[in-house]
Amino acid sequence: MAIQFLLALNRQGKTRVSKWYVNASDEEKWKTESQVHKLICSRDHKNQSNFVQFQSRKLVYKRYAGLFFCFCIDVQDNELSYLESIRLLVEVLDSYFNNVCELDLVFNFYKVSEVIDEMFLSGEIEETSKDVILQRVQETAKLD
Amino acid sequence: MGSLKSFITSVRKAKTIADERAAIRKESAAIRSSIRDTSIDERSRRTLIAKLIYLYILGEPTHFGQVECLKLLATQSFTSKRLGYLATMLILDENQEVLTLLTNSLDNDLQHSNQLFVGLALVTLGNIASTELARDLYTNVSRLVQSSNPYIRKKAIMVAAKLIQKDPDLTEFFIELVPSLLTSAKTHGEWLASLALVKSCYELGADRQLLRAQVPQLLTQLTSLRTTGFSPEYDVAGVPDPFLFVSLLQTLRVLMADDYSDEKNIDRLTDLLTQIASKVETLKNAPNAVLYEVVKTIFEIQSDSSLKILGVNVLGKFLGSKDNNSRYVALNTLLTVVQHEPKAVQRHRATVVACLRDQDISIRRRALELSFAILDKNNIRVMIKELILFLHTAETDLKPYLTGQLTLAIERYSPSERWEFETLISILSVSGNFFEFDIVSSILGIIMRCSDGELVRWVTQQLFEESLKTQDQFALNLICCWCLGEYGESIFGSVSPEKIVSLLQTLLVESHYEDKSNTEQLVKYGLMASLKLSVKLQQYPQLVESLRQLIASKANDINLEIQIRAIEYGEIFVQPLDVKKGLLEKMPAPAFKSHKGASLSTAVPQKKAVAKQEPDLLDLLGDDIPQEAVKPSTETLDLISGLFSAPIAPIAPVAVSEPDVEPVVEYTDAFHDSNVHVSFRIKSSEPGHAVLESRITNTSIGVVSQISMLVAVTKSLKLQLLPMTGTSIGPGDSVYQQLSVSGKQGAKIKLRVKLSYENVAPVETQFDFAGLGQTL
Repeated sequence: MAIQFLLALNRQGKTRVSKWYVNASDEEKWKTESQVHKLICSRDHKNQSNFVQFQSRKLVYKRYAGLFFCFCIDVQDNELSYLESIRLLVEVLDSYFNNVCELDLVFNFYKVSEVIDEMFLSGEIEETSKDVILQRVQETAKLD
Repeated sequence: MGSLKSFITSVRKAKTIADERAAIRKESAAIRSSIRDTSIDERSRRTLIAKLIYLYILGEPTHFGQVECLKLLATQSFTSKRLGYLATMLILDENQEVLTLLTNSLDNDLQHSNQLFVGLALVTLGNIASTELARDLYTNVSRLVQSSNPYIRKKAIMVAAKLIQKDPDLTEFFIELVPSLLTSAKTHGEWLASLALVKSCYELGADRQLLRAQVPQLLTQLTSLRTTGFSPEYDVAGVPDPFLFVSLLQTLRVLMADDYSDEKNIDRLTDLLTQIASKVETLKNAPNAVLYEVVKTIFEIQSDSSLKILGVNVLGKFLGSKDNNSRYVALNTLLTVVQHEPKAVQRHRATVVACLRDQDISIRRRALELSFAILDKNNIRVMIKELILFLHTAETDLKPYLTGQLTLAIERYSPSERWEFETLISILSVSGNFFEFDIVSSILGIIMRCSDGELVRWVTQQLFEESLKTQDQFALNLICCWCLGEYGESIFGSVSPEKIVSLLQTLLVESHYEDKSNTEQLVKYGLMASLKLSVKLQQYPQLVESLRQLIASKANDINLEIQIRAIEYGEIFVQPLDVKKGLLEKMPAPAFKSHKGASLSTAVPQKKAVAKQEPDLLDLLGDDIPQEAVKPSTETLDLISGLFSAPIAPIAPVAVSEPDVEPVVEYTDAFHDSNVHVSFRIKSSEPGHAVLESRITNTSIGVVSQISMLVAVTKSLKLQLLPMTGTSIGPGDSVYQQLSVSGKQGAKIKLRVKLSYENVAPVETQFDFAGLGQTL
């Protein structure tokens, strides 16, 4: 019961964020990422749900402008709750980068990764307060 | 060396793929040469690693930088360490030498006085823990779990939950801490982590009594979470921290499932669930997430019926909402609930049916499956009407499923025979090209078993008229041919025999279906019908002659089987009338071949009993063809054998070795859903070793295919799986698989099973099974 991997992909299929909580070889990861991109992009975003079956698991995803944020979770997990955590993650990123855009993720991938690590640990959601997460990453940013 | 920013910019500036490759290659080469430079300072090394990570994100090889990452870990600056650990999580592979270095770094940092370092090390360990890392570093974690710093504590607890999954033997070092962790947990983060630890421990089969003793504590936390007023920190759309809500409910559900029997706590949870389900508004995603978890909980603990109805009603509300996501999860859940609460689900029939018209295909498919699940004799007329409407617009790949399910449902619940045939014919006329062949034969069976001669006449006439209108509906035309052959004479009064013969001619000569094998099938049936009709049309010699010519015209067919039949039938055609009459008698009605649905658990043992009594050839074939259908009446048998001088050997009593000589152990149920039923039994056992057999039975009315079952056992056991006896099961049939389990004597056999199969849509499910009641 946990997240297998977390991705942010743009519409062209470029991976902007990729965080894996299960062991997989690089080749497997790249292959999976392109499969996920193909699957999600082909869906009708107005009329279809944000959930789709993927191999033996399911994907929960949400589109923000040109970026898809996508979690791969176990079949018995609560899709709605993970959808909510995507929203929380994007909200935190938005506050942190002050109106986040794709380029912020490209140039600051290490900061994004830090935000994710404050929010999720070993595939489980660990902190649900936006303020707590932001406070922490803003503090460590001062150390740079 | 340029900065990270300039590297990223140069990649982004590239106008063509070739330019991009060139920029990447250049930088990659620069990185490699910098790595060889031993004199670079920490700052440049940081840039180097940052670029390396970017290369990794671009999908480039980065293994050459592994040691460089570890060097960065050994520095004493937070910024360097942070980047080093990030790179470690991404780039490191299982290379042994590198792992040893990493273990050392983690060990040092976990014991460091700087809390920032400890935090980084915990995050890394939690995210990439392997069994070895877990064993080497758990002592650090068990100390940190009791740290006075809440930030470190929450991370350490979450890491502990992960470590014990990697090595269940470590559970004993953490489980004792659970009660005090739950008592002292203050922040939501600590709660979430502690709950994760509780779930991990419970799933690994640790001291369940100790864990279950925590239920009151969790219930209190749930109550207080529910009653807390607005807290801006955690509030989402009016719900005080939906994530913690969900996690609490999940944990309670896990702890209170199965044989949990503390009435007081069950009552407390029931009250809480009722309050949440009736108070929370369903509008936004966050409250829906909580409600969804409430419903899941209701159906997994021992709830009373009013609570279950409440649960179904919540799902009903979801179904009626405009949000695709809620509808999707509602249908998914209803599909699993419908067997237990068919009545409650029935009440939402209209909403389910409305989902058949949804824009989202995955919602439509699930609504369809659910529609068939709630169909019964009370609502058959309404439901069938809706489903036939749906049939018109359905995707092609769904149609065979639909026609099959419709036929079986009509057969099972039809209020009157007349209505049954009327409906079947209307389906045949619009979707005649989407029938599986076994469904066609079961329709023929229904007609043959009909004892009302007048009705059969009416059916034949209807089929004739429909086929006259359209010759491109395969199943309709085929059944029509067959009926004309069998019952053609009954409609001579209202239809002129010329018309019948001319229809046969048209069908045999002119029909071409998309599927070539269908065309061939129709010709075979048409030939038979022509032959049979010839006996009935003795007073119309010129029609008999046309039929003879029709058969003869296929004697040169390029299809060998059609050719053979045409020639054989031509032979029979010229036999004396009484021989022909005997040979072409009406087919006896086949025994009712039940496509069992939900009540399969009783059907299977019955089949077994039969097999024991008559161990004959049929059983050897493993076929469940009813005896009557295969043994033709002796009279016909003699005639055929005389005619083709191919005496049929009497079925030799073949000695079938009794399959089960050892005492038969009954199967224990492990799992079932709307399509399959899984059970296990111990086939043989000796101390420390057991051979289990699993049985997956198809309880749906369609074919279940692509079955795969993955089984895991606790670390202390060893498991070997033999291949399954098949990967696809017809309705009512089963596949078997042997599992050989060995381990410590006296160990309890616990299985975690991941089952996937395809019915209409792929299904994927997981369950635990420990109910064998026997130890190794």
